[in-house]
Amino acid sequence: MKKIVLPILCLAFLGMAPVPFQDCNSESLATSCIPKLANGFNFLKSYKVDGLAKDKVEYSYVFTQGTQYMINLCANGNPPDGIVVAIFDKERNKVASSKINGQAAAAIAYSCNATGIYYIQYTFDEPSAHCGGSALGFKR
Amino acid sequence: MRSLLTLWALVVLISCSSKKPDSEAFLKTLENPETATPGVDEEVVNAILEQIPSPLEISVLLKQSGSRYNSEMLNSSHNLPRYNSNYKKALNLGVYGTDLGYTNIFGRNQDGLKYISAIKSLADELNIGQFFDVQTIGRLAANSKNLDSLLLITTMNFNHINHYLQSQSRDNLSVLLLTGGWIEAMQITCQTAARNPGNKQLQEKIGEQKIILEQILLLFSFYETDANMATLKADLNQLKLAYDKVEISYTYKESTMQIVDGVAVIKDNSTTNINIKPENVEEISKITNTIREKITS
Repeated sequence: MKKIVLPILCLAFLGMAPVPFQDCNSESLATSCIPKLANGFNFLKSYKVDGLAKDKVEYSYVFTQGTQYMINLCANGNPPDGIVVAIFDKERNKVASSKINGQAAAAIAYSCNATGIYYIQYTFDEPSAHCGGSALGFKR
Repeated sequence: MRSLLTLWALVVLISCSSKKPDSEAFLKTLENPETATPGVDEEVVNAILEQIPSPLEISVLLKQSGSRYNSEMLNSSHNLPRYNSNYKKALNLGVYGTDLGYTNIFGRNQDGLKYISAIKSLADELNIGQFFDVQTIGRLAANSKNLDSLLLITTMNFNHINHYLQSQSRDNLSVLLLTGGWIEAMQITCQTAARNPGNKQLQEKIGEQKIILEQILLLFSFYETDANMATLKADLNQLKLAYDKVEISYTYKESTMQIVDGVAVIKDNSTTNINIKPENVEEISKITNTIREKITS
């Protein structure tokens, strides 16, 4: 019995073993993004974009009508460095994306026309680019 | 060996059966606050806390609407000695944070200095004073040309305080800080709207706060065993009854997007319609003022 159970348990543990990922200092990248907000935008939030163990990172925020928001991206390489940020409304309709017709930008300037809860979603175009930071600012 | 194997097997079973956070359920609670179940889930609480807008956004709107600065609307820093419990300290830390943002936006830095001092005192008493760089803020506040830096550092300080409280499992204080800040912003907006009865934009700003109130009530549903928070929640529910008469409708229309100078510029073509009548504003203002009085007294 022991001869059967032990290999099964070993295989189970091997299957569960985490894949070794490189470190992601997303906090530092998020902080470095704050001063890179365009002139006139007031800083609101910084976001860690640590996608090493997942295929997307998501936050939510209440955007308000009549306010312009900027979300920028920072990465170890030249931003956007394979990171795409998109905004979805509460019904999960895409209202903004940093990737338009295959061309990727390092920031979104979004003039909100409808107050509500929105989802800020970060996805990754390239497997190597799963680490970054981002900042959210506003102006009226 | 057998007992060792049993232990390993148990670990495997527990690992495999551990319930992961249900993201679908969480998103539903964001969209339908009334379906939330009680019991503190820090991950959910922190996610909701993160989505509440800064009161600074309202202060900017007030200034741009042409309303005049009025220090009488703010909570006097002389009230500081009244706040003896952590509950009152956290709430009024939020209140004073909003007041500081308001004075900053209107360039009334001398008034702002009083709030910096009050905020530092409350933060110290709540053991979070290390995140409030009073010297730098005071130096920036001395010159009105430093507005951008002043707003940046105060926002960063409050973000650090919130992250720290959440990391220390003191998120109830974060909820109170946020609620105090929001009620103060509501009170300032309502008073400004009362002085400018023809300003439709201010009325709509009050109306759209229905969305924020729903999220705050969702947060309070996690702390029903806390007597202070349960009392405040009952007051906030009174405000919700008034807000139930406000209708917000949303129409989605695909956005227009183009990349200009390396930035994705998005024109939102969706719309919200906020149906709020003057009598609704009056009722909301009255209840808000009552809650604010309880918080600051």
